[in-house]
Amino acid sequence: MPHSDPDSPADDATLARRVGQAAPACDRDAEAELCRRLAPRVRLYGLRHLGNEAAAADLMQQVMMMTIERLRAGALREPERLASFVFGICRMVVLDLRRGHVRRERLLETYGDALTPPEPPTPNLDQARLAHCLESLTERVRTVLLLTFYDDMPAEQLARELAMSQANVRVIRHRGLERLRACMGGEAP
Amino acid sequence: MTDPSCTAPIPWDTLFAYWLGELEPDSAEQVEEHYLGCAQCSQRLEQAAALARGIRDLARRSSVNMVVDDGFVSRLREEGRQVREYRLTPNGSVNCTVTAEDDFVVGRLEAPLTGVQRIDMVTRFSFTDADQRQEDIPFVADSGVVVVSPSIDALRAMPASSLRVQLLAVDNQGERIIGEYTFNHTPHPSTLSD
Repeated sequence: MPHSDPDSPADDATLARRVGQAAPACDRDAEAELCRRLAPRVRLYGLRHLGNEAAAADLMQQVMMMTIERLRAGALREPERLASFVFGICRMVVLDLRRGHVRRERLLETYGDALTPPEPPTPNLDQARLAHCLESLTERVRTVLLLTFYDDMPAEQLARELAMSQANVRVIRHRGLERLRACMGGEAP
Repeated sequence: MTDPSCTAPIPWDTLFAYWLGELEPDSAEQVEEHYLGCAQCSQRLEQAAALARGIRDLARRSSVNMVVDDGFVSRLREEGRQVREYRLTPNGSVNCTVTAEDDFVVGRLEAPLTGVQRIDMVTRFSFTDADQRQEDIPFVADSGVVVVSPSIDALRAMPASSLRVQLLAVDNQGERIIGEYTFNHTPHPSTLSD
């Protein structure tokens, strides 16, 4: 999928190229900026696949250290493909974490805290406003959303519990999320 | 700062589907490869994730009114949450309260639900003149019960009062009352500030 403007003077690929070209020395500024940009994205990947903040933070740190390590070693021949490169590392580290084969200690010994990405900012959500927005939904939509996220209930189980079809559950929760997003001041669907 | 412009932003619906685990593996991987390289879409995904987290937090604090089911109440108890439960039969009434230690308050409204297509719930507090009507509330006909879990914050702030709840079965022939219930609420000393 095409996305960021590749001609941007400070795009991700440029930073990745600078890290690789600096070896055996280190371009600390480029490495820090790359970590600052990529770490929140990797954290999202971790949240989605590992399901909790602590594991996502662990993944984020390992992926960033491995990414920089490999960029320094010249492992990325086409910096424009940085996203695919990071994606591959994310997948591998998630598998490692699930298997319990963690390289974190060795990486930490090698890099110390120098490449530890900062805690990514999370959007401040106005809880009172969200509660108000939830109350403005119909009872059925609100129930489906609350039960979905209370303990990450899959559509199949929720459909069974509420005697609804899976398709209906999915339609209702998508509609509800769109309404909530609009109510919270997001762009119009 | 990465240029936030994106020539092919991932639609919100797809971001929600991804976060909810609804996408096929190939589609999910496409989304991941995109947002890992895209500042704008990763920011949008962060917003979607924050929304999900916010809903979860409100649900776990019982900060919004919910119509739930028996499975949900069982899970609360398995998690060790303090659940105060009131069971009412049609035309029943109960004296009720909420303490500082309660995590959730649940009302189980028994009603003849067999063959019912849609239920509307009408509520009226003794300190108001207006009915509030919630249309098409979720229920499981086989269970013979509608399970409500009001916002615990709202309950703790409520003065001594009564709440009348009517369940109406609605179909193309019209509507009929299938149950009426009265909750007589008294604030618990543990929730009073002075």
